[in-house]
Amino acid sequence: MPKQTKHADPVLIQVLRYAMEQIADEMGHTLIRTARSTVIKEIKDISCAVFDRNGNTIAQAHHAPMLLTGFELGMRQLRAQFRDEDLSDGDVIVFNDPYSGGQHVMDLVTFAPVFVEAKHSLRQREKSNSSAANASPLLVGFVGSMAHHADLGGAAPGGTQGGLTEIYQEGLRLPMVKLYKKGQEDAELFGILNNNIRVPDKTLGDIRAQASANFVGARRLREIFERYTPAVVQLHTDALLDYSEKRIRAGLEKIPDGTYTGVDYVDDDGLTGKPIKLQVNIHKDGDRAIVDFDGTDEQVPGNVNCPLATVHAAVYYALIAVVDPHVAPNSGCYRPFEVRARKGLVVNPQLPRACGARTQTSQKIAEAMLLALSQALPERVMAGSHGQITNCGFSGYHPETGKRFVYIDIQGGGAGARFCRDGRDGQDSHLARFLNTPVEAVELEFPARVECYELIPDTGGAGKFRGALGLRRDIRVLIDDMSFARYGDRQAFGAFGLFGGKEGAKGKFILNPDSPDERPLKSKGLDKLKKGDVVSLRLPGGGGYGAPSERDPQLILRDVRDGKVSIEQTRVEYGVVIEPETAREEL
Amino acid sequence: MRIGIDVGGTFTDVVLIDDQRGKIHYTKTFTTPKNPAQGVLNGIEKILNIADASIADLDYMVHGHGTTIGTNALIERKGARTGLITTRGFRDVLEIARVERPDEGLYDFLVDLPEPLAPRYLRVEVDERVDARGGVVQPLDETSVVRAVNYLKTQNVETIAVCLLFSFLNSAHEKRVKEICREIFPEASVSLSSEICPEFREFERTSTTVINAYLQPIVERYLKNLTAMLNEKYGAVQVRIMQASGGAISAEAAREHAVNIVNSGPAGGAVAGAFIGGLIGDKYVMTVDMGGTSFDIGLVIDGVPRISSEGKFEGYPVKIPAVDVHALGAGGGSIAWVDAGGALNVGPQSASSDPGPACYGVGGELPTVTDANLVLGRLNPDYFLGGEIKLYPDRARAAIEKYVAQPLNMTLEHAAYGILRVVNANMAKGMAGSSIEKGFDPREFTLLAFGGAGALHACELAHELGMKKVVVPLYPGAFSAFGLVTSDIRHDYVQTIAKPAAALDVNALQRAYQEMETQARAALAQEKIAPNEIQVQWTADLRYAGQAYELNVPVIHNGNLTRKDIDATVARFHALHQQVYAYSSAKEGVDVINVRLIGIGQVPDVKLPKHKRTTQTARAALKNKRRVYFGERGFVNVPVYERDELKPGMTVKGPCIIEEIISTTVVIPGATAKLDAWGNIVIDL
Repeated sequence: MPKQTKHADPVLIQVLRYAMEQIADEMGHTLIRTARSTVIKEIKDISCAVFDRNGNTIAQAHHAPMLLTGFELGMRQLRAQFRDEDLSDGDVIVFNDPYSGGQHVMDLVTFAPVFVEAKHSLRQREKSNSSAANASPLLVGFVGSMAHHADLGGAAPGGTQGGLTEIYQEGLRLPMVKLYKKGQEDAELFGILNNNIRVPDKTLGDIRAQASANFVGARRLREIFERYTPAVVQLHTDALLDYSEKRIRAGLEKIPDGTYTGVDYVDDDGLTGKPIKLQVNIHKDGDRAIVDFDGTDEQVPGNVNCPLATVHAAVYYALIAVVDPHVAPNSGCYRPFEVRARKGLVVNPQLPRACGARTQTSQKIAEAMLLALSQALPERVMAGSHGQITNCGFSGYHPETGKRFVYIDIQGGGAGARFCRDGRDGQDSHLARFLNTPVEAVELEFPARVECYELIPDTGGAGKFRGALGLRRDIRVLIDDMSFARYGDRQAFGAFGLFGGKEGAKGKFILNPDSPDERPLKSKGLDKLKKGDVVSLRLPGGGGYGAPSERDPQLILRDVRDGKVSIEQTRVEYGVVIEPETAREEL
Repeated sequence: MRIGIDVGGTFTDVVLIDDQRGKIHYTKTFTTPKNPAQGVLNGIEKILNIADASIADLDYMVHGHGTTIGTNALIERKGARTGLITTRGFRDVLEIARVERPDEGLYDFLVDLPEPLAPRYLRVEVDERVDARGGVVQPLDETSVVRAVNYLKTQNVETIAVCLLFSFLNSAHEKRVKEICREIFPEASVSLSSEICPEFREFERTSTTVINAYLQPIVERYLKNLTAMLNEKYGAVQVRIMQASGGAISAEAAREHAVNIVNSGPAGGAVAGAFIGGLIGDKYVMTVDMGGTSFDIGLVIDGVPRISSEGKFEGYPVKIPAVDVHALGAGGGSIAWVDAGGALNVGPQSASSDPGPACYGVGGELPTVTDANLVLGRLNPDYFLGGEIKLYPDRARAAIEKYVAQPLNMTLEHAAYGILRVVNANMAKGMAGSSIEKGFDPREFTLLAFGGAGALHACELAHELGMKKVVVPLYPGAFSAFGLVTSDIRHDYVQTIAKPAAALDVNALQRAYQEMETQARAALAQEKIAPNEIQVQWTADLRYAGQAYELNVPVIHNGNLTRKDIDATVARFHALHQQVYAYSSAKEGVDVINVRLIGIGQVPDVKLPKHKRTTQTARAALKNKRRVYFGERGFVNVPVYERDELKPGMTVKGPCIIEEIISTTVVIPGATAKLDAWGNIVIDL
């Protein structure tokens, strides 16, 4: 049980929570507004958070849960590596090493320490005649921002090629180093970055945008500590963590004790063609949940190995969503959870395994978690979703500027159905909470033309409630010698249905569809494209929930009318024969 | 003489300004939801009686509305049957949106994006394509257009939205689609994205255009009906409609731009805030309008309401220039509750007026913010709405005791005060978001509080954010309606340029502005604005090369744009970027994305009657004393003043209460309140 917090004012807890959430949101706003690469400014593959001096997450912005909960291990590493006296106001620490708490190489994590003058740590009446007023500034907390970058060097533009075998191929791997010292850029480090990145104009601009977000956040956080004094703030943020912990424990208590197991598969690692099994075993005992990965496959040669920070994020995400989705999300939430992943498993890979495409694995962990939890809480889960991230990196030289470009396009697919509702067509799900790139934004910046972006009929798993449809996006290349690196998944194993619901359709990538040159493309790989080629991304659909025979006929008819489910599919899956005329009638 | 009418959810507020006699009158009448025009007519009749005035003296009336017209149609999905025509391959853009789930759905599987307003079977595609330079890749196939329009005709749509890719660079195809619609389906109204929202990002542009189409027939019917009823009763009346931009347009012009005039009531509050700020010499004003269910925050920057074009409307993105009013679901009716972790929360659920706060005694059992204010002595149970509604303190106490004090093991007063602190923290967070996040320090702003509950919380909110001055204006209950009268006429124009500032052709830019200026002057002339009352502002949206979001800066010129003017505009951008994002770089390339022009038809100044300051003390306005709770000081026996009896120049010291029919001002300990020459309560903290 959490220790009793003494003298904390329950009202001030909420006041400080709101204030710190506001800071995290403001940081995200700054980062998105000032960034240069589509992956940040349009797709918003970022995350921002506020921490106490011990490195506990106090508040998070509304960003990708995969990155949000993923700050935890990085913070632990930072506190182990830097003592208070090693840090100064205006410092920004950067790292991306998956083997010391990072995500994948493409995600740069930055932290900035926040200091207040010692006089603010005193109560008013002590200030006037105290020598402490002249003492050195006090470290009171941190702010952090994480962003996916367009390029960090390595074998493939944008780091998006599936099938890489060593982390050294995936881009520049940074240990924790100071990117800014006392507010000044470290010119040497920026020089190293500049020489190792394909698009330094973009990426260095994005890194500066991350620093801006940290500076803005640090300024606001300092004001809060000055106003309430560090002791009072720490007392109340401690209580906030205890409060979230208490809520999670209360939620866990309501779940029947027992072991719940779920399994999902990654198609392959981009090299061996073999499926990779992910098994989660949730041991629910009173107000705790221990999750182990016994039964999960060993680490693999390809780059779908999933570093621990991301594994934790996937486990935490699923548990919070199911146990108490509206808890104040902070480090307190994670205390009742324990993750056990043996070294050498695909969920705890060892150096120098490659892990750039780890998102394929982490999404499946979340899926397996939900499948397991569906046994205990059938009305709190979602049927299987697209469960992957299709990350494409198109690169070449822009005909108008002669400069190298990297165009990152990230796509999800259909989400699973819920116990009371269909999957919302088009809406994302789970760990990655990104936006698509507007077609007009793509074409204004890159020599490519998007030829369609649409829902694919008949791709949502049938059920009492239907899984969301998969998506199609066709991209025509307008120059020669464009490389197309990518990783995707769910092309061999569809999204699971629940309680009689059917599987969602699998995805596929096609080159030059409906032409004599048509050929399938691997889900993970790199190809050279020539001018006029069309890449067609067909993204997987979500699984259904409940038996199709129980589906409301009105919903069946609506789907047919909207062209989301064909008349043929309706007959096969639902056993309903619809005359073409009926479908067109007004409902 | 002019009239402002703000049709709200419950009340229609009416303000009459009698310029000749130098008087202002206001009244309230019930909104008539089935036919809001009836409420408008009732209001006019009522105010004319009060003012002892005749319609013959009316110069014009300005009509604004909150949720009644348009918003309700959107919430209840009762808009017109809408078809959408898109470029082939892109009919699902409206439904796919940006794929991002709403913030509240970060961990909650049951939170969905709103359903598209044009269902998939009413979204049809035509063969055509324009590229990112505005060039035609594939000419418009007119047979595909005819087929699409005929299909929508058989589907009985009332209104058609057209959004083709890159139409903001080349609108020829969209214009041709409109012509074909006119030829073969003239009954349908048509909204073109190149006219409604000519800016990049196809989803946001489509969304805005579809909302316009969806609401246009409704707005048109309403305006026709209103005009007809007014004409029947009063003969010809000049009716202007408030836009979300804070400027009005003629009722005729409003019919084409439905999306611009929905939810324009809150803009009235910000415009009025700018007016009062101008009066008292404060150029930076934050307006807060707190009623039963919502808390609207607006900003006045350098004397002008802040405009943004990134708003959402019931979850649907709407990219039009709108007064940046941030609405929170917090009000007097917000319900206080203790969650599983033992934390006190207030809202977002509201008791609204039915069943209402516990103290109303009409069925509500749960404790609300109003109950907390009553238990703490801040509200007078016998003088709520001037005594029209009786409040029951016992019921308020019982509700707070049961649902807050007991679960938290607190005294009743602590619990009630806790409710106020939590709701205040939530509102303060919203106020910080509306200012700090936009690069402004709230401490440099005057807080202008209105609405039924604004003045109850204003001092504590200001204190929370370090603000030094609070103003409770005259007529806090009809303040938005007052803003309608003071609003100028406004037309907005935009053209996308998307070129590096350094490579701009000054002459081409000059032509773009001049083209828009010609349009603006013609539109204003049509609204009978004399040339000397027309004011034209040039602005531009700039960003660093590679960024996706722009900052809007003024373009200062003397009619003939020069390279120097452009350099100065870029310099203004660097400075603003530094202010907002703590970063700027004169070395980096800057792109000019849009050029904008605002055509303003100035209305005559409203002259508020100014009074001599009295030398009397406030004793004459003292009604009685009562016990009111003030945090650490506990219950204090404080004086209660009647606002109508306070005269300009009178000063009262906090802690005290100032009551009027529609509102109650809490003056906290240490603060001083005085009435200024116009009758505004000005509180120094």
